[in-house]
Amino acid sequence: MRPKSIRLLTKTTFIYLVFILIAFFSTAVFIIQRTNNFIDEDTESYFSRRERRVIRVIEEGERDLSEINDLVKIENLSAIAVSTYPKYRDTTMVVSQMDDPMLLREKTILVNTSKGHFEYKMYKNISDFDKFRQGVLSTITNTFIILVLVLTLFSLFLSGFLFRAFHRILGSMSKYKIGNDFKLPDVRTSTSEFKKMQLLVSKMITQIESDYRKLKEYTENMAHEMQTPLAIIRSKAELLIADEKMMVEHSKTIKVIYDEATHLSNLGNTLNLLTKIENGEYDKVEQLNTYHIINRHVEAVKEMFDLKGLKLMVELDPNHTLHLDPLLFDVMLKNLLKNALRYGLSVGPVLLTTKGNTLSISNYGNPLPFDSSKIFNRFVGSNGAKSALGLGLALVKRICDLNQLTITYSFCDAQHTFSIKSAE
Amino acid sequence: MKLLIVEDNAELSDDLAIFLTENGFVVEVAYNLNEAEQKIFDYSYDLVILDLGLPDGSGLDLLRKAKASRLKMGFLIVTARNAIEDKVAGLELGADDYITKPFHKAELNARVRSIIRRKNADGNNLIEIGNIAVNLLSLDVTVAGMPIDLTRKEFDLLVYFLYNKNRVLTKESIVEHLWGDHADQADSFDFIYNHIKNLRKKLQQAGGDVQIQSVYGMGYKFSQNS
Repeated sequence: MRPKSIRLLTKTTFIYLVFILIAFFSTAVFIIQRTNNFIDEDTESYFSRRERRVIRVIEEGERDLSEINDLVKIENLSAIAVSTYPKYRDTTMVVSQMDDPMLLREKTILVNTSKGHFEYKMYKNISDFDKFRQGVLSTITNTFIILVLVLTLFSLFLSGFLFRAFHRILGSMSKYKIGNDFKLPDVRTSTSEFKKMQLLVSKMITQIESDYRKLKEYTENMAHEMQTPLAIIRSKAELLIADEKMMVEHSKTIKVIYDEATHLSNLGNTLNLLTKIENGEYDKVEQLNTYHIINRHVEAVKEMFDLKGLKLMVELDPNHTLHLDPLLFDVMLKNLLKNALRYGLSVGPVLLTTKGNTLSISNYGNPLPFDSSKIFNRFVGSNGAKSALGLGLALVKRICDLNQLTITYSFCDAQHTFSIKSAE
Repeated sequence: MKLLIVEDNAELSDDLAIFLTENGFVVEVAYNLNEAEQKIFDYSYDLVILDLGLPDGSGLDLLRKAKASRLKMGFLIVTARNAIEDKVAGLELGADDYITKPFHKAELNARVRSIIRRKNADGNNLIEIGNIAVNLLSLDVTVAGMPIDLTRKEFDLLVYFLYNKNRVLTKESIVEHLWGDHADQADSFDFIYNHIKNLRKKLQQAGGDVQIQSVYGMGYKFSQNS
């Protein structure tokens, strides 16, 4: 499966946003860390002061120790886990005079003095620090959200305004069809890259058109100029055919000359047609209802099938349609019928059906003397059949390819089947 | 009947001129557009056989001028096989018929006669050879005064033979005449033998004093019994 394509600007914006996210995230982590450190340092120096003071008070022994809040004498030191001290805890406390609960840091220490061991709890209000930290975080988050919005809007603006010229150039490029004397419309832009692109594309188109014209002229001239000498050869051969004396002695030779000149002439015509098709000169595409067209063709050639002992049967869906130039459908149908007529065996009918989105034609026949994957190649398999050009199926294949139709070939139960499916 | 052939290739135009002269026409040849233009405005022709691809321009221009000047002559345009646009343009400009290159002389002869017959409102719609008479309007065929029944293809075949009597018609030319654009779908031209056989049988049974001979496996020749 081909990866889904994303517009350049969307992609750039997205990548840009990811980078910004990473940058913002790292900044946030850094700032939070610095804030935490600051809080730690600040509270720690406060707690140290308190600790020194309480030790001094205990040692001086001037005050009643029971008056000091949160100071508890420890009688038996071995009953507590000494190594867990000092203990830290952040806790919120609702104070009735204040609206917001207060965030406090609690530090519990063991105080060893000459008067015994004490456990002492100290508190420090860190609400302001916490608010500051929250403020920093929300600033970063809000800035990021605003940046995302601004960037998205900006990229929309860019694609609408800055890239408008680019899209217009692309649009006109997509309309380009070889051989139409196409001029790339001049899109006004002040962006030098776009200007350069326009210039290059224009140059390329001019070059392609010139090459194409030369090639086309060459092919047309070849196919056309070849016709006149061939017509002369045929005309002279016809003169000889009319001459009874000549025919008595040279009928075979004259026939060969006549037939080969005809063959060459048909070949030139068909190659010319193939070139025209490849160049997309048959572009009067329409939604064709095939029912009447096929019936008309079948009516015209039925007799040829009868005379060869072949039964031509049709099963047509009146609603079957194909999307292509009517002339091309004519060529396609003719060649498929011709193929069936040429190679069909009278053991069973030639069946032409249309159903749903599929047109298929099958005929009984001998297995292919070559690899079936080569069936649509030019000049394959025509060796056995006299007068075959070897271009018919190649023509059909090209027409299908150029009109988004799928043609498949299969050989089953002595029947060769060609199916043409249109995309729904 | 006076014809003008406009064709730049001398070999071809001279061959055609000889062939059409043999068929009883008075034929003149123009090798380019200029010459053709002088001729059609100076003289009168029943039909102009006009190749569209000429060295000094397109035959369509000549056709346009002729039609603008309301010249009465008929026009049979000769186009390359794949030039469908030319065909359409020519017919829209008022050409009477077209024929694609390369063509069989017998086919050209049949087309020329058919146009001339259509052009002359009081023209003779009856072709006769020996005791066979064909009415091209009513599509009736009589042999020694008695009507015979032919299929459409047999009728067309007979008319083609009548237009080209005493001449070898190749099988290919016959198939092209009978099946037109579908002729190239045939894989061999031998199958027309059935039509020949049937036509021959019907004409002989009715006592027609004509014969259709097979010629060296190449084609058939229609002639009156001597």
